[in-house]
Amino acid sequence: MAGQSPAGVGSGPRPKAQAWVHHHREAAVTSVEKLLREPVSNTLTVLVIAIALALPTFGLALVSAVNQELNRLDAPPQLSVLTEASLTLDDAKRLAEKIERQPGVAAVKVIDRDTALTEFIEATGLEALSSRLDSNPLPHTLWLYPSSNIRSAGLAQLSQDLKALPGIADVILDSRWLERLEAFITLARSVALALGAAMALGVVLTLGNTLRLGIESRREEIVVIKLIGGGNAFARRPFLYTGALLGALGGLVSGLLIFMTFEALKAPIAQLFDLYDRSAAVSVFGFEDFILLMSLGSALGWISACYSVQLHLARIQPR
Amino acid sequence: MDLVFDRVGKRFGQRDALIDLSFGMASGEMAFLTGHSGAGKSTLLRLLLLLDRASSGEVSVSGRPLSKIRESGIAAYRRDFGVVFQDHKLLFDRSVFHNVALPLEIAGFTKRDIDRRVRAALDKVGLLDRERASPEMLSGGEQQRVGIARAVVARPKILIADEPTGNLDPQLSSEIMGLFAAFNSVGVTVIVASHDLALISRMSQRILTLKEGRLITLNNDKRGDG
Repeated sequence: MAGQSPAGVGSGPRPKAQAWVHHHREAAVTSVEKLLREPVSNTLTVLVIAIALALPTFGLALVSAVNQELNRLDAPPQLSVLTEASLTLDDAKRLAEKIERQPGVAAVKVIDRDTALTEFIEATGLEALSSRLDSNPLPHTLWLYPSSNIRSAGLAQLSQDLKALPGIADVILDSRWLERLEAFITLARSVALALGAAMALGVVLTLGNTLRLGIESRREEIVVIKLIGGGNAFARRPFLYTGALLGALGGLVSGLLIFMTFEALKAPIAQLFDLYDRSAAVSVFGFEDFILLMSLGSALGWISACYSVQLHLARIQPR
Repeated sequence: MDLVFDRVGKRFGQRDALIDLSFGMASGEMAFLTGHSGAGKSTLLRLLLLLDRASSGEVSVSGRPLSKIRESGIAAYRRDFGVVFQDHKLLFDRSVFHNVALPLEIAGFTKRDIDRRVRAALDKVGLLDRERASPEMLSGGEQQRVGIARAVVARPKILIADEPTGNLDPQLSSEIMGLFAAFNSVGVTVIVASHDLALISRMSQRILTLKEGRLITLNNDKRGDG
């Protein structure tokens, strides 16, 4: 009889794979249309996702920016070797040559006391002080650059050895601030990652709830679809696309937020670096990061939709 | 037999909705299902659509026992049916055209085929000029005809209608029944649940009468006298 196969006009349903592609395209288009139909609530959802993604991402971007800047520092830190005040410049130079031959020392630079004083006055603006001084109180200083493979323990040993040499008043090893900063950065990264995980969970729950409302408001449609032979997959698909789309938009907006924040911070950061005679050449947020955020957002959106749909769609059965 | 109920029972808690029900329908046959409300008409149709499962006995469609169909197979199974509901179950957020197109979209027809088939179905129910309208703007009789177009658009093997004329005046009801008879005449198996005895006795088709969950008439006479 006629019902055995689709008779009459047309060629009947498409092959499965083709129909599948078609269903997905239709679902994607439908979900865009549905989003546009409720601009206010969807914009709010996108903003919530954007902020939730932006906070940890901003933290991570900041940490990686500071880290990049640190890697540009001359590592490991140098030692300042203060000679005894009685030492002449020639003595200091001889001492420098001697130290330079020691293992673990890459280079030694002699800063004579007059230059040091001039630089000190220039840097601090204390001209009045210089006129008051009868003589230069500063000793000659040696800047010691350790070879790059030296560890902090070796650095401490080196400074001990140097202190024992005649003619050396003191050795200043100032690396603790760097260690602390590095520890702080590690901590900050962990905090940002933990925050990120919490926020991702927040995105999944928020979006899941938004989609739940969507599912509830389309209960009628889902019931009809199921009654006339649409499976869960058919009913689910538009929600998956809606979730992924909201997530991707959230990622895009969070990218914009971060980008704008860094743009706004550019001038003060440049100023800060100027003070240290360095250029802020660090790129903090680029095109790939946008793509990454959008992919992350849409993945989270898809996951939320799966979770929400799994929870709510199966409960809607025709009565 | 295309459709067989073999000693089917359905219990809801302490109440028997269907008791020891047996009958068969050949492919291409048309039957009316009648009885008072609560007699089991809806339950019977629900079992047929796998909205519920029989408590005892077996329902088979095209030789396939329904107890063997798993949850995941229900959607595909329902695609063999066209269903007309008393309350139409149209979606008011889309046009008449897109309401009728829904089963074809589910089945994965091409856009070209969808266009052609939807127009053909709307033409059969006399609503071709309303394809862009929202179902909300249509009268009750027109809405029911959209529902019928949606039920037949995918050319189902079996057409089921649950009180399709429940809210319509006699003239419209008789038009709607005429449509079902027309689909039956091109080979579709048709089952119509209705309590409008006056109307169905005029239709000269087989009548299955339910009373308190039991089948009390098995009228196989095509000249049936109700």
